[in-house]
Amino acid sequence: MNLERVVFGFVIILALAFTLAFVVGDIHNASHHNVWMLTIAILINLIATGLKLGDRSQVGALLLASSLVADVLLITARIIWVTAENETAIGPSRESMANIISLSSGALVAGIITVVILVGDTLISRR
Amino acid sequence: MAATSELDRVSMLVLRYMRAPVFILILVYAIGITGMSLIPGYDADGNVHYMNLFHSFYFFTYTATTTGYGEIPYEFTDEQRLWAILCVYMGVVAWLYAIGSIFRLVQNPHFLLALNEHRFTGRVRRIHRPFYILCGFGDTGSLLARGLSDHWLRSVIIDVDPERIKALQLRDYRVSMPGLCADPSAPKYLQDAGVQMPNCKAVVILTVDEEINLQIAVMARLLNPDIHILCRSTSESHTEHLRSLGQVTIINPFEIFAQLLSMAITAPRLHNLNSCLVHNPNVELGKPMLLPTGNWIICGYGRMGQWLYRHFVLNGIKPVIIDPLAQEVEGAAQVIASHANRATLEQAGIASAAGVVAGTDNDHDNLSIVMHVKAMNPDIFTIVRQNRHENQIAFDAASADLVLQSSLTTARRVLKHLISPQVQQFLDYLREQGEDICEHTVHRLRQLIGDQQPHLWHCVIRDEEASAVTEYLRNGNQLSLGELRRDPHRLDGCLAAMAFTIRRDGKCLMLPADNESIRLGDDILFCGTQSGENMLLASMNNVYTLDYLVSGRDKARGYLFRWLEQRGEKGMT
Repeated sequence: MNLERVVFGFVIILALAFTLAFVVGDIHNASHHNVWMLTIAILINLIATGLKLGDRSQVGALLLASSLVADVLLITARIIWVTAENETAIGPSRESMANIISLSSGALVAGIITVVILVGDTLISRR
Repeated sequence: MAATSELDRVSMLVLRYMRAPVFILILVYAIGITGMSLIPGYDADGNVHYMNLFHSFYFFTYTATTTGYGEIPYEFTDEQRLWAILCVYMGVVAWLYAIGSIFRLVQNPHFLLALNEHRFTGRVRRIHRPFYILCGFGDTGSLLARGLSDHWLRSVIIDVDPERIKALQLRDYRVSMPGLCADPSAPKYLQDAGVQMPNCKAVVILTVDEEINLQIAVMARLLNPDIHILCRSTSESHTEHLRSLGQVTIINPFEIFAQLLSMAITAPRLHNLNSCLVHNPNVELGKPMLLPTGNWIICGYGRMGQWLYRHFVLNGIKPVIIDPLAQEVEGAAQVIASHANRATLEQAGIASAAGVVAGTDNDHDNLSIVMHVKAMNPDIFTIVRQNRHENQIAFDAASADLVLQSSLTTARRVLKHLISPQVQQFLDYLREQGEDICEHTVHRLRQLIGDQQPHLWHCVIRDEEASAVTEYLRNGNQLSLGELRRDPHRLDGCLAAMAFTIRRDGKCLMLPADNESIRLGDDILFCGTQSGENMLLASMNNVYTLDYLVSGRDKARGYLFRWLEQRGEKGMT
């Protein structure tokens, strides 16, 4: 067992789980989505990116790329939330909410790809 | 340089051919457009209206090509319509003439030749990996090209026969092999084939005409003083001349046969290993064929018969010779100057003979000799010479013990050279060392690859081929061959890759031990399986895998964990 693999696997899967937790719900309804969930997802994704810096293998490069995609999409979603926060009493309007959730769904796909690569790499090395 | 001149030639031809049609088209367009703009028409309200030049051009463009969208911008007057009729006929005729000229040009054989040459030159110039030039694409050439393709080696092919080049284009090679139908002895075509390019590694000359082979070799040597030349040659005088060119490997299929036969007599295990390395399908690794050493009969005393005879005598066997043209031969047990048939075979003592060689240059004679011999003495060892590749099925059916096929032997020998000159050096080394070392090597190889066919490849420890290894060594670390060959899936196992030789500082280290340390620039010849090669390449190019192979534990990959690891090490000390 390798400590780096454990920590990295934990962070990657946690990031995916939080992204999913935020995305689940009605796409237009702001009360179904918690902004704290989004913020934590961003934080964990950034940590995952940081852990992968410095890996020179091909798989490492791919993992870094996909977690960068998730970072960019989630941060954009968070910026839209900030600008649309006061549109209604419960938060962003229906249209802004749809934008935020669409972007986060993109991040969810990037997260799934990361996990698939990680699992694949672990299975191939068979140690 | 050759590329631009070729390009110039093609574009020059096109331009010269199209000069008259283009001139006529311009003239017709000018007349039609000017006339259309000068003839007055009327607009919807009846005012006089002249078509501007752009509208005239638009109108002429679609009438001359017989598309026809109608009259614009206003309905035409009768004068305009008359002019339009003229325009249509002029334009259509001019276009037909222009298109006809293009078709004539495209069908012109000289133009096609120039175009093919131009395309070929372009394809050769775009090759950035090492490649070989192959002159002659007959039986031997196509067998060699197949072998090269199996090893992912590129070659450029020149042959005089257009049918062979057409056949080449239908082959399914793993790598692209550009072919040109031209006379390879002309220096221009050798230059087109890239003989002066730095990544051209060798010129292989395999045409049937020995005189032409010599000419090609001389031209290649003149164009590139450093290039390695491999040339098929069976006559003494040509061989002499070729040797004087320097850096020439002469391939004499008859001599190679004789050496192989000698090897089969004195070193059957090595012969077996050699046959497996060249992928002879009828041979199983570790099961050598044993040649009997009793009385032998050679039918046919031509070039091949003489070579075989010489090597039989060297090995202490005195054969009987049957050949209609044979004179008295020194050391022969008996010379029968006649064709090989039942009577002469009987006379030669077929009933008590251990083996017979059917070595005439006629496949039908050889096959009938084998049939006679098998009927007269079923236990006899038969060696038969196959002259033409297309008779393969008949030779398979004859089930002789050993078939000597000139094209196949040549192709295999050249291929061994092109994969790496170290292969032959290694085999020569095993020959000197004797059968015990050879048996030991075969045993080790069989443990690694099992029943699979052995696969040969070589790799040089340099950045392009083994980036991780060069980096590891530059950092001042030591790496041994055994560490490199470890299986990344289970460290106590090892990959199906055995090092035959290491070439270092111009010297060849044979059968290096596992504790031999690897150095920068080493050229290592491996034997194993295709998957072994892939795994080894992966280890040699991935720093983490290599590190794991040496240390047995995964090194931290990210900056953070590397920092933590270093702190941990400091804390320990």
